[in-house]
Amino acid sequence: MNAAAGMLSVQGICKSHFDPNTGAQAEVLDSVSITVNDHEFVSVIGPSGCGKSTLLRIVAGLDQPNTGDISVAGKRVSRPGADRGMVFQEYALFPWKTTQANVEFGPLLKGAGKDERAATAKRFIELVGLKGSEQKYPHQLSGGMRQRAAVARALANNPKILLMDEPFAAVDAMTRQRLQEELTAISASERTTVLFVTHAIEEAVFLSDRVVVLSDRPGRVIADMKIELDRPRQWNELTRDARFTDYCAQLTRLLYGANAVPESRQ
Amino acid sequence: MTALRPRRPLLGPWRQAWIIRELMPFAVGILVWQALSSLNIWPSVLFPSPLEVFRAFVTDIGSGVLLSNLGVSLISLWWGFFIGAAIALPLGYLMGLHSVSRDFFDPLVNLLQAIPGLAWIPFAILWFGLGKGAVIFIIVMSVFFPILHNLLTGIRLIQPVLVEASQTLGAGRAAIIRHVIFPATLPNLMTGIRLGIAFGFRSLVGGEMIASTDGIGYQIFNAQQYFQSARIVVGMLSIGIVWLLMDRLVLRPIEQRTTMRWGMLREGIENT
Repeated sequence: MNAAAGMLSVQGICKSHFDPNTGAQAEVLDSVSITVNDHEFVSVIGPSGCGKSTLLRIVAGLDQPNTGDISVAGKRVSRPGADRGMVFQEYALFPWKTTQANVEFGPLLKGAGKDERAATAKRFIELVGLKGSEQKYPHQLSGGMRQRAAVARALANNPKILLMDEPFAAVDAMTRQRLQEELTAISASERTTVLFVTHAIEEAVFLSDRVVVLSDRPGRVIADMKIELDRPRQWNELTRDARFTDYCAQLTRLLYGANAVPESRQ
Repeated sequence: MTALRPRRPLLGPWRQAWIIRELMPFAVGILVWQALSSLNIWPSVLFPSPLEVFRAFVTDIGSGVLLSNLGVSLISLWWGFFIGAAIALPLGYLMGLHSVSRDFFDPLVNLLQAIPGLAWIPFAILWFGLGKGAVIFIIVMSVFFPILHNLLTGIRLIQPVLVEASQTLGAGRAAIIRHVIFPATLPNLMTGIRLGIAFGFRSLVGGEMIASTDGIGYQIFNAQQYFQSARIVVGMLSIGIVWLLMDRLVLRPIEQRTTMRWGMLREGIENT
């Protein structure tokens, strides 16, 4: 194992699963390798059904690859673990726990005492801007607040890497932009290592240090692009930045071909 | 949509006067009952009036018969429910979480659950003799299946993403069962418990009529032998009142503190 290979090392992941329509094995991922360095924010984009969510689930240990290795901080992993925090598109908060109890859940599992848990929860609830909603249950929160709570819950567990599966797809456009700005600020201040899956090109460029492009199914890495834009990033500045538009145009060409219009702009 | 909205203000005072709201349906029911019996269509032995029933109720309370019979019945019901639930809960979680057990027990449970609790009376009497043992046994057989069935449904309805979220937070099997499976199954478990108690009451009364010499079912049966129709109604209504009290004083408060507070269960669709 080469620890210098990065915080997260994904090596040669192949995955196929049974397709009931054809009665055959359908290839989903074809030798995907990705490295995410310490404190780096990497997005994986690709067309619908390219296997990017499957890739993230494999990294989380929720799905098993046919071949290939995942290692976190040089240690091979195959099962789910607290070293890889995950934020799901559908929030996945526990309805029977308050915001605070949801955020305290990871520390609770690690055996942290009551005061320590409360202190951790307080810090991360304030970090995501949910102060005042500690005692509310998830059904009393808006979609944006639920996703903030889910981010706080994942971060409070102090994971080595944060995995995010299209976390802002279910919220309205204005909330989404706010959450994206908050996420860049938080990941910068907490120095979080993030692997982020999305199909929205602008979101990937806005958030990331690097964008990895997967091809149509079976997913293969077809590009790995460094995004060299200054941080902190804000939408009203970046949308006027020629480099931002240029990155988006390049990725659009990679994904949809030279003349295509990306889905997000239709 | 707008056609529905103006109803709220109209209902405003109605919603606040909860005592009226609670008692109104019963008052209306009693009035209709009184009106029907005032018509004198049937002799009172076939259709006793509310007043006769009230008098019989006072007499049965005064003599202590009603309360001692209720006491006997509730003790049987409690033991039947307790034993039935004590078997159904572990078996349900075992079947829900362990596929080998599910494959083994599922056909057996399916075969047995169609058999009414009362069909067990002959064997209950042969095995336990006339009395409480036989009654408790058939209550167990009636309580067990609704609880098991609803618990299994609850386990099937758990969102996989909640289990996965707990795994990515570091939860092992024990923590998943305690922090995800148990609370997630609570709404269906409460349904199972309600149905279990309701089925238990049916078997209790039927069982006491045939296999017992005391209890509320026996009182109903016995009153019929003596054409004491009002006392039959006293027995029937007592069961209803006991159930209402259980619902309001035990089951609903539990739900209000858990599943309703968590947003997993609502009073009705109009509150959404």
